[in-house]
Amino acid sequence: MPVTAHPDCGPTSKTLRTKAVSLLLAGWILLLAFHPSAWSEEATSREYVVKAAFLFSFAHFVAWPHMAGQPSPPASAPLRIGVLGDDPFGSALDETVRNEAIQGRKIIIARSHTIDDLIDCQILFICRSEEDRLAPILQHLENKPVLTISDMEDFAEHGGVIRLYVIGKKVRFEINQSAALSHQLKLDAQLLSLGRVIGPISDRSHP
Amino acid sequence: MRRLSDLPLQRQLTWMVQATCILSLVLACTALATFEWLDSRQDGVRDLSTLADVLATTTQATLTFDDADAATRILKSLHSKPHILGARLFNRDGEPFADYLPPQGSCSLPVAPRQDGHSFELGHLVLYRPIFLDNKFLGTIYLQSDLAEMHHRLMLFIAVSLIVMTAALAIAMALSRRLQRLIAQPILALTRTAQSVAEEQNYTVRAPALGSNELGLLTKSFNHMLSRIQEQNFALTEGEERIRAVLNSALSAVILVDASGVIREWNAHAEVIFGWKRPEVLGTRLEALGLSPDDPTLQGRQSVTGGAGGPGRVDEISAKRRDGSTFPAELSVSPLKIGDVLHQCSFITDITERRNAQVKVQEQVSRLDLLNRITQAIGERLDLESIFQVVIRSLEDNLPIDFSCICTYDATAHSLTVGNLGSQCQSYAQALELTISSTLVIDQNGLSRCVIGKLVYEPDLRESAQPFPRRLVRAGLLSLVAAPLIVESRVFGVLLVARRNSQSFSSADCEFLRQLAEHTALASHSAQMYGALQGAYDDLRQTQQVVLQQERLRALGQMASGIAHDINNAISPVVLYTESLLENEPNLSSRARTYLETIQRAIDDVAHTVARMREFYRQRETQLSMGPVDVNETIQQVLDLTRVRWNDMPQQRGSVITTTLDLQAALPAVLAVASEVREALINLVFNGVDAMPEGGTLTLRSLRKAPASQDAQRGGESMVCVEVTDTGIGMSEETRRRCLEPFFTTKGERGTGLGLAMVYGVMQRHSGEIEVESEVGKGTTFRLFFPIANDAASSALAPAVPAPQRHLRLLIIDDDPLLLKSLSDILQGDGHAVVTADRGQAGIDLFQTACHTGETFAAVITDLGMPYVDGRKVASAIKSLSPTTPVIMLTGWGQRLVAEGDIPAHVDCVLNKPPKLRDLRTALTQHCHAQ
Repeated sequence: MPVTAHPDCGPTSKTLRTKAVSLLLAGWILLLAFHPSAWSEEATSREYVVKAAFLFSFAHFVAWPHMAGQPSPPASAPLRIGVLGDDPFGSALDETVRNEAIQGRKIIIARSHTIDDLIDCQILFICRSEEDRLAPILQHLENKPVLTISDMEDFAEHGGVIRLYVIGKKVRFEINQSAALSHQLKLDAQLLSLGRVIGPISDRSHP
Repeated sequence: MRRLSDLPLQRQLTWMVQATCILSLVLACTALATFEWLDSRQDGVRDLSTLADVLATTTQATLTFDDADAATRILKSLHSKPHILGARLFNRDGEPFADYLPPQGSCSLPVAPRQDGHSFELGHLVLYRPIFLDNKFLGTIYLQSDLAEMHHRLMLFIAVSLIVMTAALAIAMALSRRLQRLIAQPILALTRTAQSVAEEQNYTVRAPALGSNELGLLTKSFNHMLSRIQEQNFALTEGEERIRAVLNSALSAVILVDASGVIREWNAHAEVIFGWKRPEVLGTRLEALGLSPDDPTLQGRQSVTGGAGGPGRVDEISAKRRDGSTFPAELSVSPLKIGDVLHQCSFITDITERRNAQVKVQEQVSRLDLLNRITQAIGERLDLESIFQVVIRSLEDNLPIDFSCICTYDATAHSLTVGNLGSQCQSYAQALELTISSTLVIDQNGLSRCVIGKLVYEPDLRESAQPFPRRLVRAGLLSLVAAPLIVESRVFGVLLVARRNSQSFSSADCEFLRQLAEHTALASHSAQMYGALQGAYDDLRQTQQVVLQQERLRALGQMASGIAHDINNAISPVVLYTESLLENEPNLSSRARTYLETIQRAIDDVAHTVARMREFYRQRETQLSMGPVDVNETIQQVLDLTRVRWNDMPQQRGSVITTTLDLQAALPAVLAVASEVREALINLVFNGVDAMPEGGTLTLRSLRKAPASQDAQRGGESMVCVEVTDTGIGMSEETRRRCLEPFFTTKGERGTGLGLAMVYGVMQRHSGEIEVESEVGKGTTFRLFFPIANDAASSALAPAVPAPQRHLRLLIIDDDPLLLKSLSDILQGDGHAVVTADRGQAGIDLFQTACHTGETFAAVITDLGMPYVDGRKVASAIKSLSPTTPVIMLTGWGQRLVAEGDIPAHVDCVLNKPPKLRDLRTALTQHCHAQ
């Protein structure tokens, strides 16, 4: 069942459907996230379910620039989410983005172990498996409008844009605002207010 | 509480403006406040909604990334909004996610989210707003706000509104106060004008013109309307006054009644004749005046109102006045349509006067008719007796009266003589002791005024103290009218009419009686006039007859006179010679003497017969001197003379008339003219014969007797009476009375009506009397009484005239030689010298010659009738030659000359032919002796 906003669909029905789906989804996420047995038994997978949701949600608060000299991507152009390295999400990411769209754009999950395959992704999750090759990857991606996200330690300090981390039982993130700027990404103020901001202009004192 | 519409206009206007202002302001303010309220709510909702939107946006990430602390932090920012009483964020599962409560707040937050929307609950505004991120439901935010701000705003608004309203009202009041005058003043002025127009009916006032707006136009129009009304009112008033004047000047009552019987018009004459005033009856119903159309006295009206009568129909009705009395009236009703309402216009004329006049006129007419009938009736009567009789009879029959009589007035005796009494008032006449021919003394007052020509009416005789009125009162008669009978300003009688009741003669009665008296007087006068006229006519007729007779007789007489003249001439010698012989011849034998005497008597009779012929035309034989006449002898002579009539002529018809003579012997002679007596008796004999066509006895009687009427006076002096009695048809009393009148005859064409008249004339001349006694069928007796001749008269019977002593020279002139011869012989026998001349001229010549020669004639005897030169010329010539010579004229017409008093001039004596010797001698002796 396609959940894309159909132009013919009234907002009410769309909203209702969306709500219903969202509620189900949210219920399911929360069930997964806060179920003690599940959390304890499948803590990793549950963590990644949340991270998959975060990965998807960041798209909401990030604005990609238009490429100079490139035609602006069509509104229907799909939003590519790349997963570089060994995928920790399992089916969680696919299920998260299934039937989802961000600002009318379909979401395509792309998996690869080479950066070049994922160079045209708007969001790139760099798995822990690529920790060693982080620098070249980031270098490769320099000045590219790609939101780089990873749960590696010091990812942000190294020039990644957003690092996911777990504190308590909650997933949190930190943001390297200068990295974002270098990737020509505009981050939403809310995002900034929620995450820990590090970087040259961030004093990191504020969580 | 006065209603708004009763308030004065100014107050009204103010009220209206105020009310309008208040209402509009209140409405405006209410609307504004409502709007403000709604707006403030809207504002609140919007503000809250905005706030919720902001919060929703700002909490998207917190919800997305499940960061409740961040959410709480964000919500805390709400403390800058003091009206926010609380806020709660729910996650997508409807669980509370983050809350906000103000420091002092104590509000309860909902445990579960609700649908999107806001609501006002318990003075709070609550709002739920779902949070979406890219169409993805993230959660719900709940906000609760108090309404204090809203209330505050509203209060402030209301306060401001009230202030503004008050101020606006004050200004509106002031302005309306000022401005309403603009409208109110002209309207009030208009109102005052209209009021004065309405109250005083004064259309001359004008409203002051203010401005030129609609009010100005209204004022102008009003003024214009007033002018028009004034004009129309004037015209209307004038018209109405004119019509009212016309109506009021009408001599009929004009009553206008509408269809429902209500009086709408009532003119002045209606007031007069009905007694109701106009203001009293206008608007009331006709029935209220007792003039109900159902009133049977107004049946005429009923029929007219019922539509039966058309216009122009006039009914006579009996109408009722205010006092209930009724009067005859003439009603004509005209249906009028005024507007759409049918009216009845009644014209009522009081015809009492007319009725009375009609009655009077009818009375007058009947009186006039009566008068006319009486006049006609008395016009047919020609004697006073019957005229009066008719008058009184008619009065009694037609004019109820109790007593009437007509008296004749004797002015010299100053008394009234009762002429006629009414047949029905005999009882009163007896009571009055009045009979026909009784005399009434003329009273001082009543009758005396009447006899000087005035109508006297005594309405109540009891008030009069005069004897005659007292007599009437005693007889039971109380009112009297005495009407004089006047002819040519002379009262000759009085008509007395009386009634039992006093005051019972009306002026019309008096007038009628006056007129009747006039007519009666006129009729009486006419009757008298008629009598006079009849007499005059009879006289005239008699005269005419006499003239005719005389004319005839004159012609006859002229012829007879010629004959008589010739006979007289012829017998003159016989007479002269016979007389001469008897006188002068003593030697005559007795036989010869007897013969001569017979001749003499015969000649005398011839002469008498000739003379009688002349009596046909001769009126009087005055010169036939009365002489003693022997009546018996005359009777004998008459019988002889009339033998033919009483003997021969009846015998031819086969009837026999016996004549009887009963003559008293030794009667004295009467003094009469024998020939007239003879003639009278002849006439009587003829009458007697005519009265006995079947025969009978005619008796002539003579006796000494006096007439009946003179018996008393001349007892002893008796007269000689000659009776002629026949046994004929006799005469009626009427005929007897009138038989002596000239031209009265019972014989028709055969009689002249002069016979007995002539007898009567003879008897008159002889101072005699005539008596007529007759009985129809028995016969008639005429008695003629002659006076007896006395002795002196008797002595003249035989005059002895001796032969004259003197011998005279006489000239005798005649055209008859025989007469000349005999006359000269006789006169010569007397010793006179006689010269004869044939015809007049010769006589005159002879006399002339004799005068010249000196042989004058002592007398001239001449004939009258001679050719060429007649006796008159002869006499004239003789007298011119010798005035003293007497002229004796002989004439065959001598008696006529004498009778007519026509003795010719210059003639001293006229002698008839045949001349008697005696007369000649007398004449010669007289005239020549005188010389």
